[in-house]
Amino acid sequence: MFEVIDRDPDGKKFDRVSRYKCRSEFDAELTIDVNVDVYPLTVGQRFSLALAPTLSLDGTPEDDAFDQSGKPSLADGYEYVMYGKCYKKVDENAGGLTRASAYISFGGLLMNLKADPKNLQEIEIDDRIYLLMRAV
Amino acid sequence: MPTFRDDMAGSSHDTAAIDFTKTPFAPASTPRKISAVRFSLMSSSEIGRAGVFHVFERNLYQMPQRTPMPNGILDPRMGTTDKRGGECATCRGNMVDCAGHFGYIKLELPVFHIGYFKNIISVLQCVCKNCSRILLNEDDQDMFLKRYRNPRLEITQRRLLYKKLTEKCKRCRTCPHCGDYNGVTKRAGQTLKIVHEKYSKNPALLEEFMKEFETALKYNEQLRASLPKVQDDLNPIRVLGILQRVTSADCELLDIADRPEHLLLTHLPVPPCCIRPSVEMDGVSGSNEDDITMKLIQIIEVNNVLRQGLEKGLAVNNMMENWDFLQIQCAMYINSELPGLSLQYQGPGKPLRGFVQRLKGKQGRFRGNLSGKRVDFSARTVISPDPNLRIDEVGVPIHIAKTMTYPEVVNKHNMVMLRERVRNGMAKHPGANFVKFASGGMQYLKYGDRRKIASELKFGDIVERHLHDGDILLFNRQPSLHKMSIMAHKARIMECRTLRFNECVCTPYNADFDGDEMNIHCPQTEEARAEAMQLMGVQHNLCTPKNGEILIAATQDFLTAAFLLTIKDAFFDRSQFGSLVAYMGDALLSVDLPTPAILKPIELWTGKQVFSVLIRPKASDHIYVNLEVAEKLYNKKDKTMCPDDGYVCIQNSEIISGQLGKATLGSGNKSGLFYVLNIEYGAEAAANAMNRLAKLSARWLGTRGFSIGIDDVSPAAELSAEKGRRIEDGYRTCDERIASYEKGTLPLQAGCNAEETLEAEVLGVLSAVREAAGNACLKALPRRNAPLIMALCGSKGSTINISQMIACVGQQAVGGSRPPDGFAERSLPHFRRGEKTPAAKGFVANSFFSGMRPTEFFFHTMAGREGLVDTAVKTAETGYMSRRLMKALEDLSLQYDGTVRNSMGGIVQLRYGDDGMEPTMMESEDAQPIEFKRCLMNVRGLNSARGEPPATRSALDAALDQFKRNNRIINVDEEGESAETRELVYSAGISQLFYENMRTFIINEVESPSDGVYMSDRQMKAFLDACARKYTEKRIEPGTAVGAIGAQSIGEPGTQMTLKTFHFAGVASMNITLGVPRIKEIINASKNISTPIITASLMSDRDVKAARVVKGRVEKTTLGEICSEINIVVRPHDLYLELMLDMEAINQLQLDVTIHSVRLAVLGAPKLKLKPQHVLIAGENILHVLPSEEALIEKRALFTLQHMRLAIPAVIVQGIPSVGRAVINDKGDGTYNLIVEGVNLQSVMGIEGIKGTETRTNHVMECERTLGIEAARACIIEEIDSTMGAHGMSIDNRHSMLLADVMTYKGEVLGITRFGMAKMKDSVLMLASFEKTTDHLFDAALHGRTDYIDGVSECIIMGIPMPIGTGMFRLQHRAMKLEVDINLGVSQMSRSCER
Repeated sequence: MFEVIDRDPDGKKFDRVSRYKCRSEFDAELTIDVNVDVYPLTVGQRFSLALAPTLSLDGTPEDDAFDQSGKPSLADGYEYVMYGKCYKKVDENAGGLTRASAYISFGGLLMNLKADPKNLQEIEIDDRIYLLMRAV
Repeated sequence: MPTFRDDMAGSSHDTAAIDFTKTPFAPASTPRKISAVRFSLMSSSEIGRAGVFHVFERNLYQMPQRTPMPNGILDPRMGTTDKRGGECATCRGNMVDCAGHFGYIKLELPVFHIGYFKNIISVLQCVCKNCSRILLNEDDQDMFLKRYRNPRLEITQRRLLYKKLTEKCKRCRTCPHCGDYNGVTKRAGQTLKIVHEKYSKNPALLEEFMKEFETALKYNEQLRASLPKVQDDLNPIRVLGILQRVTSADCELLDIADRPEHLLLTHLPVPPCCIRPSVEMDGVSGSNEDDITMKLIQIIEVNNVLRQGLEKGLAVNNMMENWDFLQIQCAMYINSELPGLSLQYQGPGKPLRGFVQRLKGKQGRFRGNLSGKRVDFSARTVISPDPNLRIDEVGVPIHIAKTMTYPEVVNKHNMVMLRERVRNGMAKHPGANFVKFASGGMQYLKYGDRRKIASELKFGDIVERHLHDGDILLFNRQPSLHKMSIMAHKARIMECRTLRFNECVCTPYNADFDGDEMNIHCPQTEEARAEAMQLMGVQHNLCTPKNGEILIAATQDFLTAAFLLTIKDAFFDRSQFGSLVAYMGDALLSVDLPTPAILKPIELWTGKQVFSVLIRPKASDHIYVNLEVAEKLYNKKDKTMCPDDGYVCIQNSEIISGQLGKATLGSGNKSGLFYVLNIEYGAEAAANAMNRLAKLSARWLGTRGFSIGIDDVSPAAELSAEKGRRIEDGYRTCDERIASYEKGTLPLQAGCNAEETLEAEVLGVLSAVREAAGNACLKALPRRNAPLIMALCGSKGSTINISQMIACVGQQAVGGSRPPDGFAERSLPHFRRGEKTPAAKGFVANSFFSGMRPTEFFFHTMAGREGLVDTAVKTAETGYMSRRLMKALEDLSLQYDGTVRNSMGGIVQLRYGDDGMEPTMMESEDAQPIEFKRCLMNVRGLNSARGEPPATRSALDAALDQFKRNNRIINVDEEGESAETRELVYSAGISQLFYENMRTFIINEVESPSDGVYMSDRQMKAFLDACARKYTEKRIEPGTAVGAIGAQSIGEPGTQMTLKTFHFAGVASMNITLGVPRIKEIINASKNISTPIITASLMSDRDVKAARVVKGRVEKTTLGEICSEINIVVRPHDLYLELMLDMEAINQLQLDVTIHSVRLAVLGAPKLKLKPQHVLIAGENILHVLPSEEALIEKRALFTLQHMRLAIPAVIVQGIPSVGRAVINDKGDGTYNLIVEGVNLQSVMGIEGIKGTETRTNHVMECERTLGIEAARACIIEEIDSTMGAHGMSIDNRHSMLLADVMTYKGEVLGITRFGMAKMKDSVLMLASFEKTTDHLFDAALHGRTDYIDGVSECIIMGIPMPIGTGMFRLQHRAMKLEVDINLGVSQMSRSCER
């Protein structure tokens, strides 16, 4: 569960993409690029976010190819779904608190999630990841 | 005249060879092979024997019949130039068959050969005019002979020895053999006469000589007036006599290979008609004759008059006049450009061309016809771009394809195709023009029954077929500055009129499409094609050997399109994405569709995903690119998270972040996408990606549209106002400065006077104004602005260009400063006198959009004109520089033993560039073989570390040990190495330097990773393996023409030093010459350079005070500067000059000067010539200078003192006279060093307080003089690198190293000039094709030089393949008797070979 706290902190750079800064109740920080043409968010809005390695409901891992079968999937329950790859993951030490920071690129739309290492331990570099979002 | 020494080529083996349908190329199977050319003098008898008859008839034609006159100059016995079937009377050949025959003219009286005139004088100076023996005593003769006979004597030393000998002979007055007196022998004024001044210095002889005239004087009183001027005239007959009597032993001493009398002309060869064709004029009777023929007519005419005179007796003065005339005509026959002579004897109109004129110069025989020849199978037309072509293709107009042919040998596989070609004939495109039958004979396919010819085609016949797709062509654009100016492309025949190619290949050719023309050449054998494709193919030349950067990459529109496509908010739905994928591969590419970046609410793919597909279309393609590049947009901190999306990161061919621009896709870098593709996955992969990009960009941008209009450059109202405000502010500040300058209250800048300070400050203010206006305008521009997009992605233009269009053009500069005052005290008459306001001095406040005021426009044209002039001047200068470099370095090549040698086998470098690596393949920016960081990134990308523990230090050490065991490490600079262990052989091995670099890097990465990611054990091992593999691949190949590549790599950047030909860079308010003039100084090895600078480090480099003391010691201090008074004291018995030293000033300047040192300095002053007793110390700081005794006696003592009073203040009491000034330079880290303007390194090094070991100069010659040849070499390398670096050009320092080695390997610094070159090279032909063509030829003939055709120039001239590159080795073919059936499979054939 995240809340949008800022939109385009460095000024508006792109027409159809905005960078949102969000924070969750578990003190996780999220910076994410969202296509505002298809899924606009407003400051103060709350949304729930999920990261999944696969969209299949039974959790079977998928291969690299694009699944175009259109069978029911995890995505059905969400409004905004992106697919990308984790390209960097580092452990940061900020003020005695160890935070893991995962960077994911959804075809150029970037996301950085800083959270407790435990919450992010399942994400590793080169993992293919689905991002699922739903307004609350 | 050259004579050829022929060697029979080894007789071919009799054993039957394999019967190829196509005969493979074999070098020189012609009966004779030229192995050397020997130059010698031609004797009269030789000329006579070479001639078929004696030419003595003056008239060319017999008039009524208009046939050539028998025994005339156009006699058909000398061959014919008649195109209508005239026949040679000697050999009965027609114009094509008969090469012509020589005739000869017997001169009635001998004359000097103008080419040897100087040599004749020189010989006469060395021999006795009476007995013809050399003017040396026996001992000297023996000494010289012994040294001449030294077998290791080089030509340069030989020349020096001869010079020494002539000097010695010239000084000898009495012949040691016959005792006769010998005077000075010299040329009489500007005439072709030699006088022997026997009498002027010897009164006894003169008297005797005068007696001879007594009888004459009796009858002719007028003679007496000219009697004092009488001299011994050495006319050609006497000279001939003297030279004939020179003994052959003396000839050796005189370094003459042949007989010296051959230096005179007694017979004249008449060249065959074909080299001086007579052209009959149309319609009108008469003919146009060649200059040589005309000159011969004149010679024969005078000669005939002389003959009649000799037979019948003519007045002596008349005879002499005719003789002189013959002399001059014969001289002009050979060289018509004689200084002082030509004008008076030359008729009106343009001067006739002598033989010398035919040979020399750019259009002359050597450079115009022998070194560069016209070729068949070439074409030239306008070029145009075509992004649909692959980068290794060239679009050829069908018209050219039908004319240019390739001779293809008929065999089993191409029979069907060639039959069709023959049937199509000449007119239809894939056709053929000729068929050459194996049985002999040729058939022109325009006529005849083509069907029949086609059906009768046999194996081994040759069909000259039209070009078709895939044929290999050489594509070239002049000026060919580097090897990438001519590359091999594959033909693609198109319906068009222009040559077309992919724009990516514009950079190496430096081509644009504003009307440029280019040439194509069609190699005519399979060998040539194969070699062209392997060595010159576009794909093998993606990177330049200049510095290893990629040269062929996306340009202009491709960059724009890629930039727009990869912007963060570019999204495509399924249909759009599909069409984009279809664009890039002609809809033929099979692609794995990636999962869309946005799946819900609708499927959307991003532009970056399109690009990821472009790099790796299919999952099965094993292309995994990993790179990180900062683009122009990058905000310099957030890496991939940069809000402007300016940091490009590609992982495993997937674009993670960043908007792609010039840094990623463009040329001229070592980190871009195509560079990485080329290095890691080969040229093919890079070329394919480029092709896809070109197609995608061109097509997508074509549909999207990208244009620029007036609204792109119209400033908004607030922007104009903002700009107006900025400019007003700037003007006000300038006015303040000017006002304070006029009042004289302007605070001065260091080392500048008031005017310079004002200029500098005003310029600073104005450039700040322009900058501010520009920034304001850039900020105001929307992100969609077309010029801005182009500037940001780097495709065209810069931000300065944009701000000039929209905001403000800015200050115009002429010659590096504000426009000068062309009118009285003002730049233009529109301003007040002495006005220094910005507008009056060339500041253009308007933009190109708003339009310039007339005065502004005028200033703008001034700056524009300067640029144009500069470009024109620079082109000629750099062209000549490149030519010289090329001539000096052309024959250097890498041998199989790893050394770099010239054509004579002289070693120039023991190991190329000290490590034997290929500059083209160097990965890192500082020309080291491998960019470890990217290599590691790549290894990481390929080997996932998933679930593996990080590598430990001990594991690393073990791996490094293993690495050392597997690869021999060559100790490059280990002391105390014996000669045997030193590696000289070209062999495997890794340089110590590389190993150390790698070790440091990997240890660092294992212990503290730079980006926080640890590497696994497997990754570390993979990294080490990759390093070893890459290193071995990057070794330079034997045979490489390293010299030619080096010369091009240094010459080509010179042409790009535009507009900055004479550029000064400030080093602590000091100027250094840079640009082309500086490069020229270095390679010329100039004795005097324009800004010599010595950089000295100090013993105590943190102490400014100490530095000032040292500075005082270096800079020259004159007596005038430290004297408070200089007076002439006149007292009744005293007259002297009194000097009073200003001790206070001396102390303040911390000079090391006492009254004693001043006295010594005054005594030592060269001009004053004072004796010790005249300079007296009269007190602690007073010096008295007395006038000399002679002056007192001659009563001009006061004048002497007055003179001295003026001269004495200039006496240098301390410091180095040749030093201008010294500046203390703050190096920025709290240390200081001293920069000294001027020369005399030795003195500066010797000064107390200076660290002599760390003192260097930029003057190469002085460096050699002071520190020796190795220091000079280092100096050349350093200077070339720093000059190039100052212009932002990087050159692999292997090239500068090679140049420095060539300039120094002879043991002295030789410039790349005609003088230095003559000392470097021995080949006559090479030197003759460079400069001073005929001088070298005459010299070679005189000394009987032999040119062993082994260098590049010589081989080209003689038409022999040169021993460089693929010509370095020969293949030995063991001919075996084989029964090869033409239908035999390949496998069977190879089996039979094994047997």
